[in-house]
Amino acid sequence: MLVTVHQLAKAYGYFWALKDLEIRATGGERIALLGPNGAGKTTFLRLLAGAIYPTRGEIRFDDAPLTRQSARERAAVGLLTPGEHLYDNLTARENLGFFLQLYDKEVGPKAIEDALETVGLRRWADEYAGALSSGMKCRLSVAKCQLLKPKLLLLDEPYGVLDGGGVDLLESFLKAQSEQGSVIIIASHHIARVLDLCTRAVILDQGKLIFDETRREPWDSFARAFGAFLPGGNR
Amino acid sequence: MKLVRQTWLLLRKDLLLELRRRESLMTMFFFGALLLFVFNFSFELSPARVGELAPALLWLAFLFTGTLGLTQLFEAERGNHCLDGLLMSPVDRGALFLAKTCFNIVLMVLVELTVMPLFWILFSLPSWRPLPALLLIAFLGTIGFCVLGTILSAATLKARARELLLPLVLFPLMIPLILATIRCMEALLRLGELGDSLPWLRLLIGFDVIFLTVGILIFDWVVDV
Repeated sequence: MLVTVHQLAKAYGYFWALKDLEIRATGGERIALLGPNGAGKTTFLRLLAGAIYPTRGEIRFDDAPLTRQSARERAAVGLLTPGEHLYDNLTARENLGFFLQLYDKEVGPKAIEDALETVGLRRWADEYAGALSSGMKCRLSVAKCQLLKPKLLLLDEPYGVLDGGGVDLLESFLKAQSEQGSVIIIASHHIARVLDLCTRAVILDQGKLIFDETRREPWDSFARAFGAFLPGGNR
Repeated sequence: MKLVRQTWLLLRKDLLLELRRRESLMTMFFFGALLLFVFNFSFELSPARVGELAPALLWLAFLFTGTLGLTQLFEAERGNHCLDGLLMSPVDRGALFLAKTCFNIVLMVLVELTVMPLFWILFSLPSWRPLPALLLIAFLGTIGFCVLGTILSAATLKARARELLLPLVLFPLMIPLILATIRCMEALLRLGELGDSLPWLRLLIGFDVIFLTVGILIFDWVVDV
């Protein structure tokens, strides 16, 4: 999959959350999306996911523009935000079944069982999502993404609620997905962890792209770019 | 076909959630019944005046009850940002609109089916014969109310004090529908037939068709407000 972002801008009233963003991402890349609070990371993810529409510019998936009518393009994108996009009054199994049908995925009950088993939620399959802890909800979201197999997987602060086992599970899933050609973009403040996983880093500040490089060692330019946000101007 | 399948999928989910929570239906039913009791105690209607005033009271009870349902319409989607989850999925936004409209229609029809006989008893209406026709008119009015209500409920989703804002925006736009429904009901109760209220019935059907079409076409923009 090739994701092309051209001159992307989003305004909320008079406030520009993103300005003239230019990014290209190809299948297999794992991109760390970094920046201070209010940098525009979540807005960027929501634009890519098709939850909101840009004020200016465009997003293309394999040369097809993402528009209001792009049902096929939206189906190729998954957004994982811990505990979100799950119905509290549906069971874990029903949540997965509902979203699979919504995405028109022909998956049998066995696949749902397997996905729940993989994320360690088999015992809680018939519990309401509202009764699950934040970490378990996050695991359920991972199971959802495993079943939907998005070609562009976006993650917004996925580490906050997961325990050690959950983090390992998530990271092995993300590596497997990118090896299958998916583009992964992770917005996080857990810089060391996310840089360890990702193959490229992008830094946003006040809605603008200020750093975009592929990972290499030693990565001095990244340290300098990110150091600007830390007290004293040092990393 | 895809639109119908997606609509059914979303409607089934809403019905299942309502079956588990029973919040909207119970509130609407008790509120509707309560309003009829209040109206009954407040107005000492002679049998001759029942045909004139009762339709307006009945329809007002349905409107207030329905508004309660509308304020709860997207409640399931507000938790855990589920609306975003739906908007990001490949589902047609028209299907989302149709599912929400149908869900509110189902709730209102269930309330109407239980409240209407209560209305008959409370206001001592002489004959049960106009009841089926009255239910049909109420159904047509309910469709129009739910169609426009769903559009405005989605439009005010992110507004502050939306519970106050929604009726303020909704009721002025509903005036043609309210008039048409009451005129048709009044003719049915007084004459036992529509008689010269047929143009009001046409207006009622026209309102339903126009706003249903508009809703399917513009809902994508409405939810993006």
